[in-house]
Amino acid sequence: MAVRSQPLAPPRPRVARVGATRRRPVLLAVATGMLLVGALVLGVAMGTVTIDPRDTLGILGHRLLGLDLPVTWTEQAEVIVMDLRLPRVLTTMLVGMALAVAGVTFQGLLRNPLADPYVLGTASGAALGAAIAVLIPVRSAILGFGLLNGLAFLGALAAVLVVYRLARLSGLAPLTGLLLTGYAVGSLLAAGLAMAMYVSGAGLRQIFGYLLGGFSNASWEHLLGAFPLVVVASVLILLRARTLNGLLLGEEAAAHLGIDVRRERRILLGLASLVTAAAVAISGLIGFVGLVVPHVVRLLVGPSARLVLPLSALGGAVLLAYADLAARLLGDIPVGVVTALLGAPFFIIVLRRSRAGYEL
Amino acid sequence: MPVPVCARVALIALLAVVLAACTGGTAGTTGPEPTASPSAASASVAPSVEPSPTAEFPVTLTDDEGTAVDIPATPQKIVSLTPAATEILFAIGAGDRVVAKVEDVANHPPQADALPVVATFEGVDTEQIVGLAADLVIAGGNFGTPPDAVAKLRSLGIPVLVVYATTVAAALADIELIGSSVGASDAAKDLTASMRAGFDQVATATGELPAPRVFYETGTLDLAVYGIADDSVYEELLTMAGAAPVTTGSATNWEMSTEILVTADPEIILLGDGAYGVTAEAVAARPGWDVLTAVKEGAIVPVDDIVVTRPGPRLVEGLHVLARAIHPDVVLPSLAPVVP
Amino acid sequence: MTMVLRMTGVDAAYRQVPVLRGIDLSVDAGERLALIGPNGAGKSTLLRVAAGLLTPQRGEVELVGRSLAGLDRMAVARRLAVVPQEPSLPFAATVEEIVGLGRLPHEDPFRGARPADRAAIAAAIERVGVGHLLGRDARELSLGERQLVLIALAVAQAAPILVLDEPTVHLDLRHQVSTMELLVDLNERDGTTIVAVLHDLSLAVHFFPRIVLLDGGVVAGDGPPGTVLSPDRIREVFGVDPGFVRVAV
Repeated sequence: MAVRSQPLAPPRPRVARVGATRRRPVLLAVATGMLLVGALVLGVAMGTVTIDPRDTLGILGHRLLGLDLPVTWTEQAEVIVMDLRLPRVLTTMLVGMALAVAGVTFQGLLRNPLADPYVLGTASGAALGAAIAVLIPVRSAILGFGLLNGLAFLGALAAVLVVYRLARLSGLAPLTGLLLTGYAVGSLLAAGLAMAMYVSGAGLRQIFGYLLGGFSNASWEHLLGAFPLVVVASVLILLRARTLNGLLLGEEAAAHLGIDVRRERRILLGLASLVTAAAVAISGLIGFVGLVVPHVVRLLVGPSARLVLPLSALGGAVLLAYADLAARLLGDIPVGVVTALLGAPFFIIVLRRSRAGYEL
Repeated sequence: MPVPVCARVALIALLAVVLAACTGGTAGTTGPEPTASPSAASASVAPSVEPSPTAEFPVTLTDDEGTAVDIPATPQKIVSLTPAATEILFAIGAGDRVVAKVEDVANHPPQADALPVVATFEGVDTEQIVGLAADLVIAGGNFGTPPDAVAKLRSLGIPVLVVYATTVAAALADIELIGSSVGASDAAKDLTASMRAGFDQVATATGELPAPRVFYETGTLDLAVYGIADDSVYEELLTMAGAAPVTTGSATNWEMSTEILVTADPEIILLGDGAYGVTAEAVAARPGWDVLTAVKEGAIVPVDDIVVTRPGPRLVEGLHVLARAIHPDVVLPSLAPVVP
Repeated sequence: MTMVLRMTGVDAAYRQVPVLRGIDLSVDAGERLALIGPNGAGKSTLLRVAAGLLTPQRGEVELVGRSLAGLDRMAVARRLAVVPQEPSLPFAATVEEIVGLGRLPHEDPFRGARPADRAAIAAAIERVGVGHLLGRDARELSLGERQLVLIALAVAQAAPILVLDEPTVHLDLRHQVSTMELLVDLNERDGTTIVAVLHDLSLAVHFFPRIVLLDGGVVAGDGPPGTVLSPDRIREVFGVDPGFVRVAV
């Protein structure tokens, strides 16, 4: 029938092969796991009050493992280790994990390598909620969660809900609509925040402290309150890794591969927003973790969400734990400054690597 | 591509830092010498005060935020998180039981110099407070001490008494409250009594004199000038010192507009921000200020803002500073030394 | 002959604008057909209806013996594979990872690719002839190479029907022809049913024994190229001198 053409000659490979270092997820997991343990040990051993490392171990063994050890430490040392340092270190890990998982999800869902957990207005919503809480002269706490935590949590979720609803009303393509609406709503909320800060008077410091983020108020109550939310939502996201993979080539391609895109988008958005809201409710707005960790992990193990999600969770926990450690050692500077110092150079590298035309 | 929202929020936050730093900033230079004659750093020893008998404890006090604070026993390791509280504790004889303090630019009293600093403008070192086995913490209200730190300390079982005074009467009440909390009620009452006597003496000395219009400058930021708000403690103190204070006209806004100032035409300008680099010459050179009587007559006087407003035992001294700045020829009795 | 795709009396609209009217189309297993027509005729819409992305306002669609309305998305994906059109890739991915996406409807939802899936991926890469591109970042391939990789993805999907929406749009002549030859090969050797939307009439005529001509939302012709693309029809539907199209039958 038709004329056969010449068979195609294989072209010379133009670019270096991808990922000679890829395919080592187990290695990465083990390495980050070890770093995590290291962070735990250092975090509990270090602080402004010097405690003998043997005492630290004794306290941990006695309180956590129930070992019957001779008490060589003071009551104060025990309080410091168990009620100040330990919950703080564990909280940094939980928040780091939450932000990284949310980052992976938002980047995959919105198909944008520059997305972070705050891209749909969660940060602005939480900040405004926190500012309003500071302005309200009511001092209340339920189960250890103050008004600030509660309003920050609700503010984050409310912002995403508004963005989602408005984006659907716009005639734009779903992803573009979400991103642009997120930007617009975020800007509006930021204006509200600026106003709240302007009238806050002496409360400005507390609002500002929330914006910078930090773990000096970490407590067992906050940790145990946020833990189930973060862990359950993260597991549910991991179970939907297939969806994130399917979205790699676009929403239409994903639909052809069997993904119910509208439904999955809603579910994943909701889960990722919950995780983010839980994190910002207890630790304020810490940037760069959710943006940078997923990229590092993808560089090492490829884009498959089944690997990227759990490894980013580990990576985020490690990054934030060490960042908080560094922040404490550097005179208790805000941890957001440390993550920015670590993350910003990396962000620039990522920008340079993502070429302008990544069209397939 | 949308700019990460965290970057924008951080930008606004950065602007806010500049705002906050400028209005609440501290300078390294010391304030001008107050014109009061008796030296405040007297070396004489006031009668030492024994803590009241243990029948006073356990006690439950209501702090200035309305929180009930349980103090189970006479505190032996007190941490002071406001500079005024540090002064008060030493003045009522509890200084030997204070184990840590907050950073104080005025560094008063000198007996507190050796104490470790556990709180600065940046935050409170809860770990150190716990490490010192503190059994009472005196904190500052109205966000003076971060509320989160207060909550954290309370959650660890350490009683925290939050004090905040916006009037002279409230400041005296705080002195007595602190006295009750450390088992030095009698000493505290003696102190407040002598302070009231001191206030009365100033009132008597200035009562007959005409009250000049006085503008008290609390700070500047770029071209904005900050005075005193209506119903503030500054207004109260200036009135007690025999002045007719010029206020901003609002109870919440501390910024003084040039128009209001010119209309009020103060006869004396007191520079509460004199320690932060504001000089009389700079003030006189401000556009539109040359019509003010105070500028024409060169009645621009820097005063030590800290001693004037710190709600502690040196308030009488502060009142003397004001009175002398307003009525240079007034005759005031000498001040009793404050710190034992 | 088993019917793999049947549309009966399908009316479809896109954003309230009617696009398709009364479409009747039957495709048997193993057929190879080209869908042609001027811009705006509704070709892409027809594909979307067939793929279950657009619900028709009237009429029935059957996919491999089952009513399309009753199938969930995964079931549709196992029956019909669509070669993605101009996808964008936000993250680096190797050729194997891209082709591996084709196994999504088959792999274990939680554990991912199983040995059978991995074998299918390798087979698809081999079949389409992109083995020399293994390990390469998909974002750095040439247009011709990308097209082959995307076809490999659809082959890995192992669906009985393979649908392509203007697969040769950015390719040079040589790659256009070789892509067509690949489709012929897949159809004749593996028995895959091929439905390709083409704008290039010459390619359609050369490589496809059956042409469906769509014009203004209705089927204006369905049959061998010579019958469907008579000179009058060409003039009437495309508005050009039939001399522009060489119909070699």
